Amino acid sequence: MSSYNGIYLVGNYPDSRRFIDAALKGLEFFDFLEVGIPFSDPVADGPVIVEAAFQALTNGETIDSILQSVDEIRKKMDPGKKIYFMNYANTAHAPGYEKFCKKCTDHSIAGMIVPDIPFSESGDLKRVAQGAGLEYIDFITPESTTEQIEEVVTFATGFVYAVSMRGITGQDLSFDDATIQKIKHARSKSRVPVVIGFGIRDASGAKSACAIADGFIMGTEPVLRLGKSFNEFSSFIDTLSSELKDL
Amino acid sequence: MNKTVPDSRGYFGEYGGKFVPETLVNVLHELEDAFERFQKSDDAHEELSALLKNYAGRPTPLYFAKRFSEKIGVRVYLKREDLLHTGAHKLNNTLGQILLAKFMNKKRIIAETGAGQHGVATATVCALMGLECVVYMGEVDIERQATNVKRMKLLGATVIPVVSGSRTLKDAVNAALRDWVKSCQNTHYILGSVTGPHPFPRIVREFQKVIGEETIGQFKEAEGGLPDAVFACVGGGSNAAGMFYPFSSTDVPLYGVEAGGRSHKPGDHCETLTQGSPGIFQGARSYLIQDEFGQVLPVHSVSAGLDYPSVGPEHSYWKDANRVTYVSCNDEEALAACHTLTRYEGILPALESSHAVGYLIEHAADFAGKTVIVNLSGRGDKDLGIILGEVKL
Repeated sequence: MSSYNGIYLVGNYPDSRRFIDAALKGLEFFDFLEVGIPFSDPVADGPVIVEAAFQALTNGETIDSILQSVDEIRKKMDPGKKIYFMNYANTAHAPGYEKFCKKCTDHSIAGMIVPDIPFSESGDLKRVAQGAGLEYIDFITPESTTEQIEEVVTFATGFVYAVSMRGITGQDLSFDDATIQKIKHARSKSRVPVVIGFGIRDASGAKSACAIADGFIMGTEPVLRLGKSFNEFSSFIDTLSSELKDL
Repeated sequence: MNKTVPDSRGYFGEYGGKFVPETLVNVLHELEDAFERFQKSDDAHEELSALLKNYAGRPTPLYFAKRFSEKIGVRVYLKREDLLHTGAHKLNNTLGQILLAKFMNKKRIIAETGAGQHGVATATVCALMGLECVVYMGEVDIERQATNVKRMKLLGATVIPVVSGSRTLKDAVNAALRDWVKSCQNTHYILGSVTGPHPFPRIVREFQKVIGEETIGQFKEAEGGLPDAVFACVGGGSNAAGMFYPFSSTDVPLYGVEAGGRSHKPGDHCETLTQGSPGIFQGARSYLIQDEFGQVLPVHSVSAGLDYPSVGPEHSYWKDANRVTYVSCNDEEALAACHTLTRYEGILPALESSHAVGYLIEHAADFAGKTVIVNLSGRGDKDLGIILGEVKL
């Protein structure tokens, strides 16, 4: 498989056991795992992830309890694959960027994706993260200008997160022509994979993303399936991997 | 005090900034550009001035509250923003921002509201300009501010109940931000306070500073010189910023009164500046009520308009610079103040504004014989249900 694909799960949702099992199952097919750190006010997320994060917080999950699960996943997963954090800015700000990044490196987190810090505000956290050897993932969006795209890909580490459309997680996928051109341009300039996220919920969405970019990230649909049962999640991954075996 | 804040990146000292999803960055640039053009346009200023005068009813009076002054032993002037059209200072900002929306050729308007005052003020200017209006409001607030919900609907706005999180003002802001990330091409978000990402804290302050500017002139005419102190309630902080900003380069002591709620225990109050710590929330770095992991904690106030866990970044800047003293007034004191002002002056203040009045009553001895100003940011008709439930007639 030549594409570079990620799966997003909300940390310790619906509970730590099912989260760990789902992460390991997902990593049989996917190349990296994004662990969402639940935040009280997730402005970039749609109802499915908002509800899952709320549930995890209600269950008392914290970054520390989630890192315990990450350690277990690490022990059993393919060591060549990566685990990223998807965390809101204040999750890193509250303990201080140094402490937060140290926690990440202590638990072999590869890097972080922060949905409420745009490129223009990323300097402080990025400096600390990269100083600690972590990857800091930037976004390009349908609103990005050519200059912004080139600036982002020039400094990119890990991969570039291309947001497929204007909106939040869990909407229906739709690419407009201008966005497709922007993503293709990013790819032509980037040394790291350009991976599309937001709105991809099945094999057909994944295929259309991979026709434009180097891979895709799927989040809402896996979280929704796992919320129902582990078996439903597991058969979803099996179906996906058989439908995408030629990707 | 440096009045040239925010800087070009939207920072008031170390507070502010633009902490939003990448998708919104360019629409915020567009807004910044439009505001610069607006500020330089004589036509735009004339249009806004005419609306403020003939439509909204500016200047609002600065009224010497004689009987109330005698009762508490402090000479008190009230800046009567409660007399502004729609019943609160919020209209100063929505009138300015609706003209900005027209500048940017946006056809659809969204807003958040807590007490409903900003929602009503937004629905009002949308009716005035014939633009589509969608207002997000927490389910809890819809219940406690039912009159304002009806007013918004009558004005033609769609009110969308927000059922996530604490179902109050902060969740309404989250919902409006989520809408805006999808709709920013054709939609302007009229944010109601000096909060959120740059350039909102600056834009809203600029549209609200008319309060303080008028006050300085009116007080000079009435008494000569400057007052001994100025008080305003602080939730997000727009009425206080509008009152304080023109005073910030003087030596006049300024008091921002936060909602003390039921107690000083976590979850019982909205004392962001007196109990919180800096965090990144809803677009800006500012003081925030949060736990050690950065989760935003539940807050409480009897007044929906102050029921918010953060505050505008300029207030954080003024706090750290010791330019404004931030204090608090609890639910009970605010309700009592509301009743007292009503009985002594025939003025029914909003529960939000009652916090500023309440602090002054509780600390009247500290200001005995002095001449002070309270920003009466809104009227209390919307709060009748709550007031009548708490006050014995």
